[in-house]
Amino acid sequence: MPSFGFEEVEHTADLALKVHGHSLEEIFANAACGLFSLMTDLGNLSPSVHREIHLGAPDRESLLVDWLNELLYLHEVEEEIYTRFEIETLSSTTLSATAWGAKMKDSKLTVKAATFHDLKIRETEDGYLATVVFDV
Amino acid sequence: MVNKKDMKRITDYLYEIPKEYREDMRVPARIYADEKLLEATLRDRSLEQLVNTATLPGIVGYALAMPDIHQGYGFTIGGVAATRYPSGVISPGGVGYDINCGVRLLISSMEADEVKPYIRTLIGSLYRNVPSGVGQKGSIKLSPSQMDQVLEKGAAWAVKQGYGIQGDLERIEERGAMAGAEARAVSSRAKERGKNQLGTLGSGNHFLEIEEVVEVYDEKVADVFGLFPGQLAVQVHSGSRGLGHQVCTDYVRSLQEAVKRYHIELPDRELVCAPLDSSEGRDYFAAMAGAASYAWANRQCLTHLTRRTFEQVLAGKVKNWDLTTVYDVAHNIAKIEEYEVDGRRTKLCVHRKGATRAFGPGQPELPEVYRAVGQPVLVPGDMGTASYVLVGTEEAMKASFGSTCHGAGRVLSRKAAKKQIRGDKLKAELEAQGIQVRAGSMPGLAEAAPDAYKDIERVVDVVQRAGLARKVAKLRPLAVMKG
Repeated sequence: MPSFGFEEVEHTADLALKVHGHSLEEIFANAACGLFSLMTDLGNLSPSVHREIHLGAPDRESLLVDWLNELLYLHEVEEEIYTRFEIETLSSTTLSATAWGAKMKDSKLTVKAATFHDLKIRETEDGYLATVVFDV
Repeated sequence: MVNKKDMKRITDYLYEIPKEYREDMRVPARIYADEKLLEATLRDRSLEQLVNTATLPGIVGYALAMPDIHQGYGFTIGGVAATRYPSGVISPGGVGYDINCGVRLLISSMEADEVKPYIRTLIGSLYRNVPSGVGQKGSIKLSPSQMDQVLEKGAAWAVKQGYGIQGDLERIEERGAMAGAEARAVSSRAKERGKNQLGTLGSGNHFLEIEEVVEVYDEKVADVFGLFPGQLAVQVHSGSRGLGHQVCTDYVRSLQEAVKRYHIELPDRELVCAPLDSSEGRDYFAAMAGAASYAWANRQCLTHLTRRTFEQVLAGKVKNWDLTTVYDVAHNIAKIEEYEVDGRRTKLCVHRKGATRAFGPGQPELPEVYRAVGQPVLVPGDMGTASYVLVGTEEAMKASFGSTCHGAGRVLSRKAAKKQIRGDKLKAELEAQGIQVRAGSMPGLAEAAPDAYKDIERVVDVVQRAGLARKVAKLRPLAVMKG
């Protein structure tokens, strides 16, 4: 498994991430880490703010898209970058989590949204695998 | 993956994937391309995405792809899909997240040579005066009631505030405000994201370029558009910013439920849609039209900032620094238009995702000044080569729902481009060619490197040979500003 649990995969126009996790909670946290690592170098940031997030969705794929788009919304209006994610409760339709981050300094990329394209959360031998395509 | 053997060659510039290719296709898919561009298209999943759009309920004629087609998410980029109004569907994915991402072309009465000594200062000042890059705010802060006016009145709101002139409005698709826009259909989250982004360029492939008209192909039409060889021009490429992204996010999400309610089966969840005559479909159209109007207001404000900068830098140095709008086109939009279908005038919802409206002569929607010759079509190329001004044709009205290409089209992924091309090296190369570059991010610059795109000349050549638009003029960049 790659470090941080995510890897960028080839996509002609946009960006796609393959996300690995031992549990669904890890899939959600790693996908969020992957998203923000596309935007900036997370190594330089020490968390100083946190946002509590509660979401409901009809299925777990929608919940993953909602989670990532919620973080993108907060990133833009609060001007923050998030680096650490605690998934407190997670079912296939609800999520409670805390995102830890800091005020945004330099960001190299605007991610417009997480999309439903090709989105699947699959069970693997050692956990779960998800692919998420972002519009950039 | 679609193979070449699955396709039928209709002409040298048109290929078809028959309806029989996949059971769920409602119409055949057609691709405008020459042999070489087709080969490039077969390397990614864009044709599979095109086939997916051919399954949309109510789709009419063909699912069409322009020669700049490339893989997107859900819909292919460079795609056109027309659905019957009002029984067919409208799909937010068929417009995309950057609603009304588009281009405005401004021209000067000056020759570029007159301004060349000041190009460095001009691009430096534009970079300071026009907010660009990730998360940049503009100087305009919209109150809730002002936001509602921007969403419903578009560029006219900006002109009323002094950010432009009446003459600009005549020369914008939809006169800069899309009919049917309703502020109530746009979420408070979208409004929150958009309240301080008017007059900002954004990042990604958005740019502001100072250019020179280097070639005129059709003197008569160029004259009507006000173009002449050696002329100074400016091109602005931006969209509806965070507001548009949120409108698309909101409706792609809420329509996930609608497809179940209306029993619509789709091969990809990003293609979610709703019947045009359903409350969900009407709400999305009203919100999308609002975001499109916001984008036109945004390009109007960017025009104002550009004009002010030209005045600051050039006053006292040259005689006339005015910039006039030639036209402003949308590249990502869905519009209700009428076409001949089975011998009858029929109202359709034309989704253009990475495609440009290219109305031929005589269309009442065109400004009077252009009505006799056809609509100016603006096709930006990559920053190292050229951009084109085309004119719409009668043929496009019959063959492609009045649509043509929108750019060069990517061939190299952003990841591969960054790996192969260094932003700082590219900047030095472009500057050696006489193209000044200002960019917020060097990796960002590398992503949009000329090598990452198809050959614009070839793309434009195909649409001309296929009759979907005709070449009028070619513009070469003198200075490029990227977010």
